[in-house]
Amino acid sequence: MEEHNDKPPVFRSWAAWYWLVALFLIVQIVLFVFFTNYFS
Amino acid sequence: MSYIDWIVLIVTLALIVVYGLFKSRTTKNLDGYFLSNREMPWYIVLFSIMGTQASAITFLSAPGQAYTDGMRFVQYYFGLPLAMIVLCITFVPIFHKQKLYTAYEFLEKRFDLKTRTLTSFLFLLQRGLSTGISIYAPAIILSSLLGWNIYWTNIFMGGILIIYTVTGGARSVAYTQQLQLVIIFASMFLAGYLVVRYLPEGVGLFDALKVGGAMGKVNIVTTGFKENGGFDWKDRYNLLSGIIGGFFLALSYFGTDQSQVGRYLTARSIRESRMGLLMNGLVKVPMQFLILLLGILVFAFYQFNSAPLFFNKTQVDKIQHSEHAASLQQIQDAYQKADEEKTAFVKSLAATGNFELTEAEKIQLANINYQRDSLRTSFKKLVEQPDIKGDANDTNYIFLRFVMDYLPKGLVGLLIAVIFISSWGSIAAALNSLSSSTIVDVHKKFINRNMTDRDDYRVSKIYTLGWGIFCIVVAQFAYNIGNSLIEAVNILGSLFYGVILGVFLLAFYFKSVKGNAVFWSAILGEIVIIGLFILNENKVIDLSFLWLNAIGAIVVVLFAVILQSFSAKKLA
Repeated sequence: MEEHNDKPPVFRSWAAWYWLVALFLIVQIVLFVFFTNYFS
Repeated sequence: MSYIDWIVLIVTLALIVVYGLFKSRTTKNLDGYFLSNREMPWYIVLFSIMGTQASAITFLSAPGQAYTDGMRFVQYYFGLPLAMIVLCITFVPIFHKQKLYTAYEFLEKRFDLKTRTLTSFLFLLQRGLSTGISIYAPAIILSSLLGWNIYWTNIFMGGILIIYTVTGGARSVAYTQQLQLVIIFASMFLAGYLVVRYLPEGVGLFDALKVGGAMGKVNIVTTGFKENGGFDWKDRYNLLSGIIGGFFLALSYFGTDQSQVGRYLTARSIRESRMGLLMNGLVKVPMQFLILLLGILVFAFYQFNSAPLFFNKTQVDKIQHSEHAASLQQIQDAYQKADEEKTAFVKSLAATGNFELTEAEKIQLANINYQRDSLRTSFKKLVEQPDIKGDANDTNYIFLRFVMDYLPKGLVGLLIAVIFISSWGSIAAALNSLSSSTIVDVHKKFINRNMTDRDDYRVSKIYTLGWGIFCIVVAQFAYNIGNSLIEAVNILGSLFYGVILGVFLLAFYFKSVKGNAVFWSAILGEIVIIGLFILNENKVIDLSFLWLNAIGAIVVVLFAVILQSFSAKKLA
């Protein structure tokens, strides 16, 4: 049934999605640090 | 406003209402009215979550915040993606599998009725008051800027959306939020593009950032540590408070506030809920970054052009007609001189085409800006005089003042419409959730347990209308009390969120803890948080309100574990 559908799209597991969100946050913070240092 | 602006404003608002009514067809029961029959795809859930969180103040305040304090406000959202992950792992599967209408229902199944009633009561109290302020906050800005009557502005701000919210419930709320966000983002991008175009010839986006950076506005990541090495607990926006405080705030808000839980419960499956939340975790920080970037561009624009002494003109007019008029004139004369000096200096940089400032130039620019800031502070002191009692904070007026003074006809009307529709998105979701909690957690529990689907639907509509009227009344009342209430009610969320989150964390992760221990821990936790807040207000301690969420949750969990171990020993 659709309501019990819990299969993640694109990746094989939800853990991969969680890692993607966490890594994207880390990358953004690193870029922001670079941005801050560059323009200050 | 010109006729064209009025036409754009009215057409945009009418479009939202008509679209809301067009999408209002639901089955006449609780499932249809509050959960859209659980049929929404992930992208509608995403838009709905974003539209609920982003109020008018998000789009007004953030550019102003960047203008005055720099871009470090973005750190406030660093904990959000991590909270989305925890929600997807723990909260979402449980809420979906139990086929809940409200998050608080789960607490009765896990603990007892009194714990469910306490948390739903805290939610109704906090959300009811803060929604009233969500109406008042943008209404007072528009009223002040455009000279509109505040009472009528409140009624338009909080009243028109009631038409489609009452008629179509969660389905209308979700679909209108989708359209609202499209209009909002398109308008903000257009405004950003025009700011860059209005910069002097040869000055681009990169140069604007250089100018902002030279004046300390591109301070996206800050550590929060003082020069003596100690951590500044009073500092609101830094890496640590953003990740830890922001995590607890986002977890409480998205996991336990029915206005958000009600959005992802409309998803057609656990997968769609998860995807909506995870996508929110991916796009939220970049979105906030872009809104703040707009503020930096406006800041750069005002470096090349004359910037007003104070962006809220009403306050300047008030002082001009008071006994402080002579003091104002002195401040204005000195400010104009400093402002001209600043403009000449920045234009001389533009003429050379080199924005790589030397240390001496940076110091010179900092001195000019220090002088301007000091004059602004002197003006703010006049605003705070007992005979004026005005609002000394003009952050919310900066972006709109730029819009009114410089953007072309038509776009001004569109951006005023953005203020309305961004408010409507969050207010509509709030009314829908207030109504769902009232009928599911209160009415069907304590007033009438034997209602048919038809009765459920009819009474839900009445409650939605009732809460709409209540929130408008709160907004009208807020006007009589004054500006300080806005801040007080913003902090109100932090007073309750942490405690409610603590209760949910106990429910999910502490299987041995029972209802009585949780109920009394929540009461004790609330007393501790209110105590800390009072100590902070009286300057006994220095603590940013963002930390209250984390402390509230931790205190409730600790109290409950201790109380449970005592009661277990007693039984043994």
